[in-house]
Amino acid sequence: MEIATLAPLLIVVLFATLAAGLWIGFALIAVGMVAMMAASSAPVTLVFATKVWGGLTIWDLTSLPMFIWMGEILVRSRLSSDMFEGLAPFTRRLPGRLLHVNVLGCALFAAVSGSSAATTATIGRMSVPELTKRGYDARMAIGTLAGSGTFGFLIPPSIILIVYGAATEQSIARLFLAGLVPGLMLACLFSGYIAIWSLFNRSKMPEPVASDDGKGTRAFLRLLPVVGLIVAVIGSIYAGIASPTEAAVIGVLGALILASATGAMSRAGFLDALRAATITTCMIAFILAGASFLTVAMGYTGIPRALAAWIGEMGLSPYALLAALTVFFVVMGMFLDGISIVVLTVSIILPMVTAAGIDPIWFGVFLVLVVEMSQITPPVGFNLFVLQKITGKDIITLAGYAAPFFGLLVLALAILSAFPQIALWLPGTMLTK
Amino acid sequence: MRVILDRLYAAALWLSAASFALIATLVLIQVLGRLTDRIARAIGAPPPGITIPSLAEIGGFLFLGGVFLGLAGTFAAGGHVRVTLLTRSLPEGASRWLGALVAAAAAGLAAFSTWSSWLQFLDSIKFNSVSFGMVKVPLAIPQGVMTLGLILLLIALIDAAVTLAKGGEPSYAANEAGEA
Repeated sequence: MEIATLAPLLIVVLFATLAAGLWIGFALIAVGMVAMMAASSAPVTLVFATKVWGGLTIWDLTSLPMFIWMGEILVRSRLSSDMFEGLAPFTRRLPGRLLHVNVLGCALFAAVSGSSAATTATIGRMSVPELTKRGYDARMAIGTLAGSGTFGFLIPPSIILIVYGAATEQSIARLFLAGLVPGLMLACLFSGYIAIWSLFNRSKMPEPVASDDGKGTRAFLRLLPVVGLIVAVIGSIYAGIASPTEAAVIGVLGALILASATGAMSRAGFLDALRAATITTCMIAFILAGASFLTVAMGYTGIPRALAAWIGEMGLSPYALLAALTVFFVVMGMFLDGISIVVLTVSIILPMVTAAGIDPIWFGVFLVLVVEMSQITPPVGFNLFVLQKITGKDIITLAGYAAPFFGLLVLALAILSAFPQIALWLPGTMLTK
Repeated sequence: MRVILDRLYAAALWLSAASFALIATLVLIQVLGRLTDRIARAIGAPPPGITIPSLAEIGGFLFLGGVFLGLAGTFAAGGHVRVTLLTRSLPEGASRWLGALVAAAAAGLAAFSTWSSWLQFLDSIKFNSVSFGMVKVPLAIPQGVMTLGLILLLIALIDAAVTLAKGGEPSYAANEAGEA
């Protein structure tokens, strides 16, 4: 079949199956089947199992359940309340005061969790009620959380980057390090926005309260082991001592010790965390399985190659291409979750991106920022769903609260495109390879 | 029947969890083994040299096995994501039938996947395929587990389609509410 008729057909199949509520992994398989049957005479039945097998028996993928498990254990620990009490004293002197706890807390938790939803839930469970009680503006209290929660995907460990790395055969260690500086930059952008907002909106800020600093100091001391855990996990990957999986297993062990030491981990809690991690892993891996098959099927159709050639002929600058892709991803992100966006991109768009001379490690970080935007755009945005559960407000209101932070994410994307070294410098200094 | 099926999915999910936990244990032994060697060398004692042979390969197999065994349980627990925006806005009856249809379609795709995986399993038996590493693992073992997991997923999907068609509510519906 001609590409000109096949490509629209595949788009229709994809959107029809997704809209009808077919599970995303199955939708990818369906599109892959249609593509293969239309474009080649190769036996679909044999190709499917071989590609799924090849796409999932990857050693680095074993870090996926480990990092998810580590996050699930810490979510069930006392970390949530310690974060709030321990970080609060630091923010008292900054304009915007306790609003910064959302940014700091999310950045810190993101460094032990690979998921944005888990980050938002953990920090939000404590900070939203506390900030509301103290009279902070709900728009800012919730908006900062919605924005900062997205750090989970950018600051290593990151589930999205593991999936991207496994699907594109890039080093997961390098991808992790590439996400670190952009994550910190984003945190500075958010904090800067809070400070400026609070200076212009003094009337909406509550009166400062003197508080018992002894309690804060004790809570801060309880945070130190978590900081140690972060340093051990990310540091060992950076130093080349441990593979991502090994670092993650150390992380799981450390998280278990931490949670037991604070008396927050029971047998039931342990099993519950393991079960939750298993479910999330299976969900992600199934989408990845569908994507492995789709990638090969798309290869048979020649569509990714044609797209790459087309972009090449147009002589589009990388900036114009990235701008066009951003718009495309934002629209996709309104309806799809982050992992689906990543796997669809890898199947179809990546050849086009590499043909334009864009570094695949850098593009991974770019993709994460775009995925973060998709987390806070309605009608489908996972951070918004989490916030809905915490606050009970409807999704459109929440998206309105998050809108300024969406704008800041776009700004971060522009900065990252203008200065690619923000992402590429740190992995370049790695001790090995 | 209901109870048997639910227990089947749950049991497979725990096996899946166990295989992930096993990966963690093996990796931990490997890391501790390396650490002991370093300490031993530092104090001049002979390193005990505890390692797990072919860990990278075996870890990959355990990961794959774990994932496929867990698919049915994840499905029953509402873990697999999908877009429910449209289906939720439909009237009750239409939404139910569309749900049954989608579950049936997914069962069709799962049947294809199972069949494909089964053929791969048979091939590995026929050619006695083993892994490349030091420990020669017959590929039929993880591929058999993959097929078994897909069969369980197929059963869970047919189960869901039938439940919806009969007017019942499948187990995943409760956990999906309010999510994507």
